[in-house]
Amino acid sequence: MEHDQLILSAKDVNIRFNLRGKVLHAIRGIDLDLYQGEVLAIVGESGSGKSVFTKSFMGLLDANGSITGGTIDYYGMADGKPLRLSDLKTEKDWLRVRGREIAMIMQDPMTSLNPLKTIGDQIMEAVTLHQGLKGAAAKEKTLEYLRDVGISDPEKRFKQYPHEFSGGMRQRVVIAIAVACSPKILICDEPTTALDVTIQAQILQLLKEMRVKYDLTIVMITHDLGVVANIADRVAVMYAGDIVEIGTADDIYYDPRHPYTWALLSSMPQMGVKGEDLFNIVGTPPNLFAEIRGDAFAPRNPQALKIDFVKRPPYFEVSPTHKAKTWLLDPRAPHIEPPAAVKKLQKEGL
Amino acid sequence: MENEREVLVEVNHLNVTYGSGKKAYPAVQDATFKIYKGETFGLVGESGSGKTTIGRAILRILPTSGGDILYKGQKINGKISRTLDKQIIKEIQMIFQDPQSSLNERAKVSYIVGEGLQNVRPDLSAAERAEKVRQALLDVGLLPEFASCFPHEFSGGQRQRIGIARALIVEPEFIVADEPISALDMSIRAQVLNLLRRLQKERGITYLFIAHDLSVMRYISDRIAVIHKGRIVELAEAEELVAHAIHPYTRSLLSAIPMPDPRREREKKLLVYDPSMHDYSREAPQWRELRPEHFVLCSAAEAEQWLPR
Repeated sequence: MEHDQLILSAKDVNIRFNLRGKVLHAIRGIDLDLYQGEVLAIVGESGSGKSVFTKSFMGLLDANGSITGGTIDYYGMADGKPLRLSDLKTEKDWLRVRGREIAMIMQDPMTSLNPLKTIGDQIMEAVTLHQGLKGAAAKEKTLEYLRDVGISDPEKRFKQYPHEFSGGMRQRVVIAIAVACSPKILICDEPTTALDVTIQAQILQLLKEMRVKYDLTIVMITHDLGVVANIADRVAVMYAGDIVEIGTADDIYYDPRHPYTWALLSSMPQMGVKGEDLFNIVGTPPNLFAEIRGDAFAPRNPQALKIDFVKRPPYFEVSPTHKAKTWLLDPRAPHIEPPAAVKKLQKEGL
Repeated sequence: MENEREVLVEVNHLNVTYGSGKKAYPAVQDATFKIYKGETFGLVGESGSGKTTIGRAILRILPTSGGDILYKGQKINGKISRTLDKQIIKEIQMIFQDPQSSLNERAKVSYIVGEGLQNVRPDLSAAERAEKVRQALLDVGLLPEFASCFPHEFSGGQRQRIGIARALIVEPEFIVADEPISALDMSIRAQVLNLLRRLQKERGITYLFIAHDLSVMRYISDRIAVIHKGRIVELAEAEELVAHAIHPYTRSLLSAIPMPDPRREREKKLLVYDPSMHDYSREAPQWRELRPEHFVLCSAAEAEQWLPR
């Protein structure tokens, strides 16, 4: 599938939070282009800023946080004009975007549904609000969405409350609500983390179907590299508030270039050889209250170069689809072999 | 092979029921397995399958409603003597899933880690106890100075280490680890797994490792049992189980796990397990050894059908 039409473009985005007088630099100059129809996975550890970054597309940052630099442009508006999301201020402005242009699915389906309203009413609300349908037509449309997301006996389910649904079924309802807003971009924030593996597989399958049926662009936030391999066209690896490497799924899994990506891939238990220690990343992620000099991963990288501690690396292009922020890609850098596990994944897979 | 190895824990036809009368719900039915000394025994299943229930029954946290649990040949479920109870408290410990909620927020690390000692080693003086806490913290790779800190000062991985130190300090022989890495970040998982493995090597600790992710279990466990709706459906050596899964539930579980390998993910086919496929009206399923050391719960007809010719 070719995805070449730009739908969202973030340029040098910086996000800062004020915490009791201290400033937390959560997002440190991210560039990201999102193309119509693709599935982009954002992977990273907790605290790397993956949720914060995507929340800024919808104006959902906490009150103490704001975009302090850079721009986010959205190109999917019906009038064809680009919309500068980073300039939107009022709730009224954001209502043009939230739901109808960009929708979000959260991790825990129980907390994102209203326990006091029936499932049918909750989906119908989105249908009425965003598609302008009323009465019987709205109900018919709602039932159609329920069928779409694989809920059997929708007539009966329509009248039920969230507590009568299992976790997987609730997540299906949440997906139905999101889709009923007819968004162009669907942000899924760890949508399957709270679910069992068999249910997770079904939800991933459902997301893939919905993407084709409703022509969605999906941003998948996760820390599960298995989920990423299953669904993503492109992968962005985040570390300490920055995308350190981005490329197609094959680029990232079979030809990773950033030492952090190497470390992530080699520390997967699936790569482990029984009776031998797993590779483990020493140290902890950097403190984002302090200014970071050079490559943020350098203190945890035993093979870090001298320049890694001094100057922040720019993006180096590996191929037209693949770039990484590491000095190792500079022509003057010494050649460092990727770890054995990475080579193994590249050659023979798991 | 069977005879050479020392059996540490034996679970025979274990039943655990929640509630009573009309509301009785059988959480575990007829579970039977042995755990050998020094091995890591994996128990895999979905949420609600009864895997944690089995772990808790072994620890005597939950009452059993049928069957036996033997530890070193002695029955430890139901009514037991005080001395045996004391021995079990000392020798069987648990590591909990969520390091965010399993530590007492209002106690210092020294108390959390050392609490067990007051129970099993009342003879120790305060100074000796402090020394033991110091050593336990060092063993799990934490600084002894952390003893005077509170749990909220630590990251998830460090908290899980505190949980492990707490279990280790009474020098247990058998540890029930209930999803000890599920709540941890990916780079921390490797650290904790390495730690558990090192401790096993150094002290010969036996683990019952409870988890839902078969692909991770394959690396950690020596043998794996798969549990579905309270019944163990398949048990085999880890590599054998992953490479030659026989029971349709195990197979569906294996197909559902997303593997971090895009090529493989693109080619894979999702298998769906439908429990109504079993026709047990004529013949009740039995525990059968279909391959060497590889047991499956099935009827004779199914065994015939599932085994590759």
